[in-house]
Amino acid sequence: MISEPEKNKTEDIEQLVGFVVGEEEFAVPILSIQEIIKPIEWTKVPFVPDYILGVFNLRGNVLPLIDLRIKFGASSADIDENTRFIVMKIKNEDVAFIIDRLTSALRIPKKNILPPPDTYSNEDEIIEGVGRLDDGRIITILKIDNIIKREEIVPERD
Amino acid sequence: MELLNKIFRVAHTIKGSGSFLSFDKLTHLTHHMEAVLDKARKGELHITPDIMDIILESIDAMKAILEYIRDNGNDTAPEIDVEPIVQKLDALSKGETPSSVTPEKEEKIGDLNLDEITADNLDDIDLSELSSEELDKVLDQLVNDINTAPESEDEIEEVEEENVQNEEEKASENTPVTSQNQSVVKKEKKELSKAEQQKALKKNIVSTKEQTIRVDVKRLDQLMNLIGELVLAKNRLIKIYNDVEERYEGEKFLEELNQVVSSISIVTTDLQIAVMKTRMLPIGKVFNKFPRIVRDLSRDLHKKIKLIISGEDTELDKSIIEEIGDPLVHMIRNAVDHGIETPQERIEAGKPEEGTVWLKAYNEGNMIVIEIKDDGHGMDAEKLKQKAIEKGIITPSEAENMGDKEAFMLIFKPGFSTAAKVTSVSGRGVGMDVVKTNIEKLNGIIEVDSVKGKGSTFKLKIPLTLAIIQALLVGSQEDLFAVPLSNVIETVRIVEEDIYTIEGKSVLKLRNEVLPLVNMADVFDVEKILEPEKYLYVVILGLGATKIGLIVDRFIGQEEIVIKSLGEFLKGLPGIAGATIRGDGRVTLIVDVGSLMKLAKETHNKKLATDSIKEAKKKKEKPSDYTVMIVDDSAMDRKIMHQALDELGVTVVEAKDGLEALNMLKQNDVDAMLVDIEMPRMDGYTLAQEIRKYNKYRKLPLIAVTSRATKSDRVRGVEVGMNEYITKPYTKEYLQNVIRRNLGI
Repeated sequence: MISEPEKNKTEDIEQLVGFVVGEEEFAVPILSIQEIIKPIEWTKVPFVPDYILGVFNLRGNVLPLIDLRIKFGASSADIDENTRFIVMKIKNEDVAFIIDRLTSALRIPKKNILPPPDTYSNEDEIIEGVGRLDDGRIITILKIDNIIKREEIVPERD
Repeated sequence: MELLNKIFRVAHTIKGSGSFLSFDKLTHLTHHMEAVLDKARKGELHITPDIMDIILESIDAMKAILEYIRDNGNDTAPEIDVEPIVQKLDALSKGETPSSVTPEKEEKIGDLNLDEITADNLDDIDLSELSSEELDKVLDQLVNDINTAPESEDEIEEVEEENVQNEEEKASENTPVTSQNQSVVKKEKKELSKAEQQKALKKNIVSTKEQTIRVDVKRLDQLMNLIGELVLAKNRLIKIYNDVEERYEGEKFLEELNQVVSSISIVTTDLQIAVMKTRMLPIGKVFNKFPRIVRDLSRDLHKKIKLIISGEDTELDKSIIEEIGDPLVHMIRNAVDHGIETPQERIEAGKPEEGTVWLKAYNEGNMIVIEIKDDGHGMDAEKLKQKAIEKGIITPSEAENMGDKEAFMLIFKPGFSTAAKVTSVSGRGVGMDVVKTNIEKLNGIIEVDSVKGKGSTFKLKIPLTLAIIQALLVGSQEDLFAVPLSNVIETVRIVEEDIYTIEGKSVLKLRNEVLPLVNMADVFDVEKILEPEKYLYVVILGLGATKIGLIVDRFIGQEEIVIKSLGEFLKGLPGIAGATIRGDGRVTLIVDVGSLMKLAKETHNKKLATDSIKEAKKKKEKPSDYTVMIVDDSAMDRKIMHQALDELGVTVVEAKDGLEALNMLKQNDVDAMLVDIEMPRMDGYTLAQEIRKYNKYRKLPLIAVTSRATKSDRVRGVEVGMNEYITKPYTKEYLQNVIRRNLGI
């Protein structure tokens, strides 16, 4: 039996996975993550924005690999033992992102998640909101559907 | 009544088909049956058990004849005598009541309790009022008899009709017919002589019995995907086997492993071919509409033309069959309209009045070749060039450098038309351009040959299938690309001096042809890091009517690859058709030859291939232009080496371990490396292995400097890619000599 207040609690809590890219900590909904793997070799692809590193083979499927550092305007970093590929489903397609390291699974009450402040540059609407953690940390929650867009990658052909 | 009508119609159909296919005996029999049934359905004849007997008897005879036809291909059936039955039927239709009743038949019918029902029947002909189950049974039986036994002709027509529809509507995706069935049906359709027809019919009866099933194309596609996976796994297995073989040479288990690997490899290949074949249809499906087209056209144009078709059994993937129809129609029209002269002109030219167009299909390696040949007036290269200049398609200087074959290719340019006047048939200058586009879509190649006054030959070379292809793997700088082998005409090795510059563009003179030449690295804008070598490798690509030379840095080899999509986000990138997964699990991009050609043309106009080669050459004159990296965890050892190298005047960089060295390598332009073996974090062996993974450092001299001097250590060193092995202690001079030799100073 779940008591009333407890039930409410589960409903109001957002489950996220936190990770670090560059200097900042981000989070994405846990359910959007397909899997998290250690870095493997990838193949470069011509004529794409520099944040698309290329494609790699994940058990027979060819997945694009995106460097979030470059995407967020930081310089790309070397791959070390903490680097991970996060595979997420975006518009029914699996896409992998390079992150510097994972932090932890997070449970943030919905009331602690605020819309992105105006001071954030959020032109692409890639930020879903800003979450405040119990320990006072601030975490940026990404709107994964908007992280990459096809129009940006492959220019419309004539 | 409805049932009687149905029976009558079936009998009529059998009669019709029988006479169409010249099965005289069958026709004779069914004709008389029909007469009786006609009377019955018009109410002029009361169906009595006796009459039923005779009808059933005639059905039995008919069944026997059909079986005979199925087995022998004709209806001569000596042991079946239809005459007595025919006479009985005749008598019936004339209104006589049959005098004799075959006792056995009565017994059989007795089982069905027919007497009772037919008694009712006699009172009232209106069958609809009869609710008796027995009657239904009898009539059902009759209908079934007729429907199942003569399945042959009936079904052929049905299937045939469907096929024609499919073909015309190109909607066959939803109503697929297995290829075997279609092929047989096609055969039946196109073969004209009676004997062949009968043979085909026979096959058809056999195949329509139980040997074909209809399969949704989606399922076949799914199967093909799975086999694609299998091919990848097989490639991977072979690769692993090769690695294992190297390491454990001479071991007993290798033999066993080899057997397993090769048997899997063979089975996979067979399986792939088998599935591919289920998707194949004979090209006759497309060809058989041409006799009519040619006939109509030649009448419209007042020409006498004979069309000779051969190789219509040649099979092609269904999806290709669907695409090939339109281009072929254009080409045939062209041959008839532009190729063949009027009878008057032909007689004047001393040729037979009747022109001939050959349409031929045959296999050539992994390609199918469709040849359209005419014995008309051929093409005039000079006239074509003139025309192209007039239309502004080429410049006069381009025309000068153009060979005959290239001139013929001009007809595929958009906006080009050679017919002096535009006819209703062709000459609007759209057709051949469309042909080219369509053939290119299929990764095909067009070849044209023509002799003035003698005629022209068009060859379309099309790959057999689209999902699993043979590819040439080439390396451009660090990257690998797979080029569909069907578009690779040849590969050549040239030196820089073989490249000519015409009007500011690089070209390659290959035998009698002048080909545009571009560097693949320029096309894909790949960073140039490899130093050019003495020889340049060129892939001659052909697509549709265009040829181009592509400079690559390495040829890796030929491999069977499975085309995979790059996904929603990346598909449609210029020059890239998709990706494949290689035996080592890495992804290799597959070149889209059509799109690459376009990019190459742009590049060709912008950049000289020779420039890009020069660009990549680095100038190194004095010793200080060379950089040597020392990798050693001991500061002392580094110092000793550093001093020795300083005397040579080369630039020196130092790293404390393998990991640091690897990072420094990326930032520095290193020409040689001195590597200690035992180091923390990453040892020398691992470092060498890592370095050799990059093509860029394929030739970087790696010199092991170590106190480990056993043979196995040295062997290990060679295995991981060390060029030299210096054992401590060493003299300063020895080290300097080794470095000098490796740097070439």
